[in-house]
Amino acid sequence: MTCEISEKEIKQLEKKANQIRNQILDMCVRAGTGHVTSSFSCTEILVALYHGGVLRYDPKNPKWNRRDRFILSKGQASVILYPILADLGFFPVKELNYFVQKNGKFGVHLQHDVPGAEITAGSLGHGFGIAAGMALAAKLNRERHMVITLLGDGECYEGSIWETAMFASHYRLNNFFAIIDRNWMCATEFTEDTVELNPMDEKWKAFGWNVKNVDGHSFEELLSAFHNFRSKRSTKPTLIIADTTKGKGADHLCWEPLWHGISPKGEDAKIAKSQLCEEEL
Amino acid sequence: MPETMRDAFFDKLYELAKKDPNIVLVDADMGAPSLDKFRRDMPAQFVNVGIAEQNAIVVACGLALGGKIPFTYAIAPFITLRCYEQIKVDMCAMKLPVTCVGVGAGFSYEDSGPTHHTTEDIAIMRALPNITIMNVTDNVMASKCAEIACKSKGPMYVRMDREPLPTIYDKKEEFKDGLTCLKKGKDVCIISTGNMVHKALEVANLLKKQSIDVAVVDLYRLKLVNTKSLLNYIKQSKKVVTLEEHLLDGGLGSIIAETLADNNMNVPLKRLAIPDKYCYTYGGREEIRRTIGLDTKSVAKTVLDFCGKRR
Repeated sequence: MTCEISEKEIKQLEKKANQIRNQILDMCVRAGTGHVTSSFSCTEILVALYHGGVLRYDPKNPKWNRRDRFILSKGQASVILYPILADLGFFPVKELNYFVQKNGKFGVHLQHDVPGAEITAGSLGHGFGIAAGMALAAKLNRERHMVITLLGDGECYEGSIWETAMFASHYRLNNFFAIIDRNWMCATEFTEDTVELNPMDEKWKAFGWNVKNVDGHSFEELLSAFHNFRSKRSTKPTLIIADTTKGKGADHLCWEPLWHGISPKGEDAKIAKSQLCEEEL
Repeated sequence: MPETMRDAFFDKLYELAKKDPNIVLVDADMGAPSLDKFRRDMPAQFVNVGIAEQNAIVVACGLALGGKIPFTYAIAPFITLRCYEQIKVDMCAMKLPVTCVGVGAGFSYEDSGPTHHTTEDIAIMRALPNITIMNVTDNVMASKCAEIACKSKGPMYVRMDREPLPTIYDKKEEFKDGLTCLKKGKDVCIISTGNMVHKALEVANLLKKQSIDVAVVDLYRLKLVNTKSLLNYIKQSKKVVTLEEHLLDGGLGSIIAETLADNNMNVPLKRLAIPDKYCYTYGGREEIRRTIGLDTKSVAKTVLDFCGKRR
C-alpha cells in the first residue's frame, strides 16, 4: 500500500531531519558524549513519526490519555528524541544546552520524567516489553491509541526481546507497532560478524508478526509503511525493519563501529558539521 | 482459611479483583488452586506469559503505565533473580506500582536443590531503592498483604513460604508497623522473619524451661524497616539474635547489624542464617536445617551458649 505524499512535503521532512541531526551534533559535541551515530541512523524514522502525521500527541499535555505511546527501546539514542520533543514544545529548546551538564534535566540514556519520553531506557530489551504491556493495557481499557516502539538491531540479541515477541503475537496486540533500526552494527562490530541476525524478517514472521522491509532513510517508504497503521485488518502486531546506516548524514562516521557511543571531536566534529550544513543548502 | 499463605493471598486478590477490573495478574506459568478460579472467572485479568519472568516484569510495568494494578507471580528465585534488572530499571527506577509475588521462601522447595531455594533474594531486593519488601509470616498477613499491595503507590515484593504454617496473627491486625513483638523477654531478643518466626517461638518456649527469658520480634517488613520501633524492642533485651532462612550475607542479620551500627548501639549480636554455601542436602526441610544448625534444637543451643548459660 502506498500513501500520497508530495515532493514538497518530503523536502520539508528532509529539512527537519537535517535540523535535528544538527541539533544532535551540537548537543553531543558540546557535551563531549552521546550516541551520535545510533541517533543519525534513526533520524528519518523519528521525523516521519512526529512530523509525518503518524503519531498523535499534545506537547502542551504530554500525558494526554489519547496520545499514541512512542517507546524508545534503544534508549541510548535519547539524543534523537530530546531535540524532537523540544522542537515540538514538550519542553524548552534551551534545555538541550544542558545535556549531561550540571543541573541538566537529562543524560545519555532516556529518562522517564522528561516530558514525552514515557520510560527510562538504556538497558536493552526492556522498552519493547513495556510497550507490549502498554498495548495490552490499551486493549483491556478499550482505548484506541497505538503503541509504537523503536528497537536497535543489536538489541535483538537480548533474549527478552523474543519473550516479548512471542507474547505480543499470542495476545494479538494489533495496536502494537515495532520498528527495528537495522543499521547493521552493534557496539563493537557489524552484527553479521558478531552473531548473525539475518534472516531478520523470517525470524519475526515465525514469531507471528506482520513484517515490512523499508529503506529507513526514505520518507516515502517509511510513510507508506505507516499508512493506515490504525486499521485492524490483521490481528497480528506489525514490525517494520528499517534498513539504515549508522552515522547517516556524516560520511566519515559511517561503517566504522568504533564511532558507537562516541561524540566526534575537533576536526571530525567540524567535518560532520560541514556535511550537515552542505546538505541544508 | 485456606491451607497455605499463597492461597490466602490469592483468595484475597480474587476478591479485590472482582471489584476492581484494573487488578491484573501476570503469571509466569505458576499454578495454584486459588488461581484456577481467578483464571476461570476473570480471564481478561489473568495473563499467563509463560516461563518468561523478564517479560512478566516488563509487561506488568507497561500495564502499570496503562493505569493497571499488576501482580507478577512465580517461584521466588525466578521472579527476583532471573528478572532482577527489569525490577531495578523498570519497576524501581520508574517507581511503578507493580508487585512481585514470590512463593518458595528459603528452603520451601526443600528437595528441589539450590535452583529452587530462595536464599539470596532479601539481599538483592533490599538493595533496590523505592521497593517495599514484605516477608509473610502467616495466612492472615498474606491476605492483608494483597490489600496493602493493591493500595501501594510503588513497587513491592511479597515473599511467601510454600509450607502451611500456623496462624499467629489476629484477623484485625493491619500490619502497618512493619514489625511485631510477639513475645517479650529480657535476656535475649530473637528477631526473625517469615517461616523462621515460628521456629523462634519454638526456641523461646524451649528456653523458657531453662529459665532464659526470650523475646521474639517478627520483622515482616524488611524494607522500609521501622527503625524506631525496632530499636525500642532491642533496648528491652540484653542481647540480640537474628534468625532467618536466607544466606548470612545481606539478609535479616545484615539489616539488624547495620541498624545497630548506624544508631551507635553496642548490643551483643549473633546472626543465625544459612552459611555461605549452596545446600545439596535431601531428606526434607528439617534435615537441611539440621545440617546447617538452623533446626530448633541447634538454634536453642546456640542461643543458650550466646547467653552464657550452658546447661
